[in-house]
Amino acid sequence: MPARAPSPAPLRRSWLTVAWTLMRLSAILLVPLVWGHVIIQDMLVGVHKISLDYVAMRWASLGWRAYDAALLCFAFAHGSNGLRQVLEDYIHGQTARRILRVALFLFWLSITALGAAAVIGGVRQ
Amino acid sequence: MQSLINFTYASTHYRPREGMIAFLLHRISGLATLLFLSIHIVDTSLVYFYPQYYNDFIGLYRLPGFMLAEIALMAGVIYHGLNGFRIALFDLVLPSAWTIQRERLSVRLTILLAAILWLPAGIIMGGNFIGYTFLGWH
Repeated sequence: MPARAPSPAPLRRSWLTVAWTLMRLSAILLVPLVWGHVIIQDMLVGVHKISLDYVAMRWASLGWRAYDAALLCFAFAHGSNGLRQVLEDYIHGQTARRILRVALFLFWLSITALGAAAVIGGVRQ
Repeated sequence: MQSLINFTYASTHYRPREGMIAFLLHRISGLATLLFLSIHIVDTSLVYFYPQYYNDFIGLYRLPGFMLAEIALMAGVIYHGLNGFRIALFDLVLPSAWTIQRERLSVRLTILLAAILWLPAGIIMGGNFIGYTFLGWH
């Protein structure tokens, strides 16, 4: 059988390229979202004034629930994909990476489901 | 695993310049923020699943160690946001700006701006830390 040079990989937008772009687009969105959240909750309100009643009062407004839902969607997905990028710098095997990606996906899905239940269900009193 | 050993060796035997410092700070602040965010989503979900335990859990964040960690986390969130914005801007809008000179200048400006923006947070939250820990505020 004659030796043949491997054909170059076709150039296409894989999901990794999409993830690369989404990391940057979500970064631009997350700067005002996350900074707004920490300025209000950590600096102006402070952890000593946060309680169940405070969450109930804040989530009485649909706007703040939508804000927190956006934080949950974008911040945690951005962070989970960031963790994948970090770990894939150290984990190179195809099988190991596949296990890592499935595990991280389940981690992202379960924590997001917990947060979504809270944002949608609200405070139970 | 070998790459982790190489990384650890390089990190301790190689004097990093601006680009590597920015990369390391971005990585550490991102991982720390993700760690807290994961805990924070779970504690917030208590309001729906176990509302009777929510106030007790938030009480943990009022411990002195957690209050100091919160101030450090603010620095991480401010730096990670600014540096992420810098990366997004260079990658998506000005890819030709990825030169050594612009990298060095932009990293220095990012760290300086992060320190300036963190100052009010450090003063207000540091004041809360001193008040609640040593002056008997409640």
